[in-house]
Amino acid sequence: MIVLCVLSVLLLTFYIREGDTGPIHAVRSGVVTVTSPLKMAGSVIASPFNALGNIFSNLTASQETLSDLRDQNAELTAKVAELSEAQETATRLEALVGLQSTYNLQSTAARIIGGSSDAWTQTVTIDKGSADGFTVGMPVCNAYGVIGQITECALNVSTVLLINDETSGVAAMIQSSRAQGMLRGQPDGSLRLEYVPAEAEVKVGDIVITSGIGGVFPKGLPLGTVTSVEKSDNDVYYTISVRTQSSTENNEEVLVITSLNADQVATDEDVAQANDAATAAASDGDSGESDNAAGDSDGSGQDSTADENDSGTDDSEA
Amino acid sequence: MPLREPARTVKSVWIIAIVAAVLQVALSPQISIAGGTVNFMMVLAFTLALSSEAGSAAIIGFACGLFYDMTSAAPVGLMALILCFASFVIASSARGALGGLTRDSVRLVVIAMFAANLFYGFCLFLLGVQTNLLWALLGHGLSSTVLNSLVSLAFLAILGGASTQRGFTARTKSSRYKIPR
Repeated sequence: MIVLCVLSVLLLTFYIREGDTGPIHAVRSGVVTVTSPLKMAGSVIASPFNALGNIFSNLTASQETLSDLRDQNAELTAKVAELSEAQETATRLEALVGLQSTYNLQSTAARIIGGSSDAWTQTVTIDKGSADGFTVGMPVCNAYGVIGQITECALNVSTVLLINDETSGVAAMIQSSRAQGMLRGQPDGSLRLEYVPAEAEVKVGDIVITSGIGGVFPKGLPLGTVTSVEKSDNDVYYTISVRTQSSTENNEEVLVITSLNADQVATDEDVAQANDAATAAASDGDSGESDNAAGDSDGSGQDSTADENDSGTDDSEA
Repeated sequence: MPLREPARTVKSVWIIAIVAAVLQVALSPQISIAGGTVNFMMVLAFTLALSSEAGSAAIIGFACGLFYDMTSAAPVGLMALILCFASFVIASSARGALGGLTRDSVRLVVIAMFAANLFYGFCLFLLGVQTNLLWALLGHGLSSTVLNSLVSLAFLAILGGASTQRGFTARTKSSRYKIPR
């Protein structure tokens, strides 16, 4: 028992220290590749029962949630009608293609075949991997916008860390005011836009899009809608709750963005302005708080960002 | 001296292990209720540990945990460590005398699952995978324990059934007392 415990600790230590390309990650990729047919079969078998989960959720939903959902339903219904007229798409796959063409995305379609097998992470598994040219770090989106980023890539399947996982972070900004921040997942699966300076203009209903800072996510892809904005008198940053456009785990087809065009990456001016705003905000208040954003998964290293005069050419909403 | 139940065949254990592994890969990612998922490998390791020797239970627990680690997005080695240790403790506590769908078996397995899930959530918090300790322990951990417990009832019943088919049973029709004719 002692030998096995020591072996487990050694495995854990090597796994943490070896990075994304070590032997343990390679072995795990092999195991995931071998077991992927089972996962696909499970997805097929479980798909007819997905509606049962929705029924269960509806039964346990509070009146407030139902009221919000009715409002959201009305809003989305109107939006769907608008989108239908604009893009003449009727199916989800067509919407995906529409998204691809609207944003000129260099992307490959894939299908979600399963969720996370542990309760502590928000991930999904898609049915394509390194054999299709996928690599770790590639952004993934559905018809409504960004849903996450590939964190593990086997030969024929990939694991996507969703944006509502609490270790996720996406450089984002408010579409209307161009105020920049960091969209982070919360432990309860919700989303929060952090490090938006208190002097920026933010209101409920604003659309949140990717800012492109960091060079991972294309600039201008929709992320969600602001549902609440809070700020106390002495706060340097807003507390902004964001709702995603759709439930990511219920979607089947996704696009994996394989490369970015030059106009989809934030310019040096954007980065410089974001850094200036971050410095200004940090000097006003809690500088230690802003340091927390340095470890974002986007790799942007941006803290609080405010950019009222962004000259980017974002096309935010499909 | 610990009692050992010799009845369960290696073949039946292998069949149950393969079924559990298939369910872990195919079904576990599809089932998520109230933030919890079913860990079939934990259920398998703990139910087998009830009627195993401590050393064997530790090996089974390690193998089950490693399989879980390899097929999930969690850090490799953590579940192996927890299941190895917990299975050893269960086997030492049960001393091979438990198994099947009995009150003592269910109680021991449920307590072990609760402890293992809490410790797993706590370790994930220390590793930075989880940022909210309360949610990790009482959100994911508790709901996973409930789901695992429900599944373990089925496993205990199946393993109990497999063992009583070939072992001693009190329900036999024969009697050692001879009836005078």
